[in-house]
Amino acid sequence: MTAAARTSISAFPRGHEFQATEFRLSQPDVEAYLEATGDRNAYGDAAPPLCAVALALSALQDQIALPEGSLHTGQEVDHLALVPVGAPLRMTTRVAQRSERQGIVISVIEFEVSDAATVLVRARSTIMAPGAAR
Amino acid sequence: MSTPVAPVMRTLTQAQLHAYADASGDHNPIHVDPAFAATTPFGGTIAHGMLVLTLIGDMMFAAHGPAWLASGRLKVRFKAPTRPGDTVTASAGEAKQSGEVTEYAVQCANQRGEVLIEGRASVLAPA
Repeated sequence: MTAAARTSISAFPRGHEFQATEFRLSQPDVEAYLEATGDRNAYGDAAPPLCAVALALSALQDQIALPEGSLHTGQEVDHLALVPVGAPLRMTTRVAQRSERQGIVISVIEFEVSDAATVLVRARSTIMAPGAAR
Repeated sequence: MSTPVAPVMRTLTQAQLHAYADASGDHNPIHVDPAFAATTPFGGTIAHGMLVLTLIGDMMFAAHGPAWLASGRLKVRFKAPTRPGDTVTASAGEAKQSGEVTEYAVQCANQRGEVLIEGRASVLAPA
């Protein structure tokens, strides 16, 4: 999706569900992530949950635009089960909350990363963005 | 007895912001384009909040191991921007035990003592 086709995050109403995506965290993906973050821990066959959340946030930016002045102001992450490296994963995303004050829209985006059986990670990102032009 | 949580410290560089952008797919110019970032109210590039947050994840995994990966919870606010060259220290306060849950106040601060991230982390005590 091109940037021009994306819609500002502030335009999406509460309850909006974004297109689900499927992906895998490969071993090279996780190694590149750990190298970039400087994390020297040995995670074995599991990926750091924040790795899955970071990729989920990035994938969301294929579907939304973050206008200049947007701020990521808060983050919640619940680790519900180990995130296996290499396994097929599915991410669902929705607007869990939306409020507006003085032209600034505060959106809480909720992500769930699941494998075939269960939800592995649930995350909520709070993003403040200038209101959409109406 | 609660598990001790040792602080984690790193100096973030612009090269690291580029590497993180590549690894995460988040190439927002506020993080990777110094010329663009100079025109914004930040006056220069800032680190991805999720990159800075990894110090807390790193710290908690080092203390709790796989229990952190399978049962950890984080709730934080990003309070101030982190700039290339900043030395960031993640630290945890005294543990509070409630049933099987161990909870900590956690934060990341820079070399000037400015709090960049603040919140709470909790984990189920390993069986």
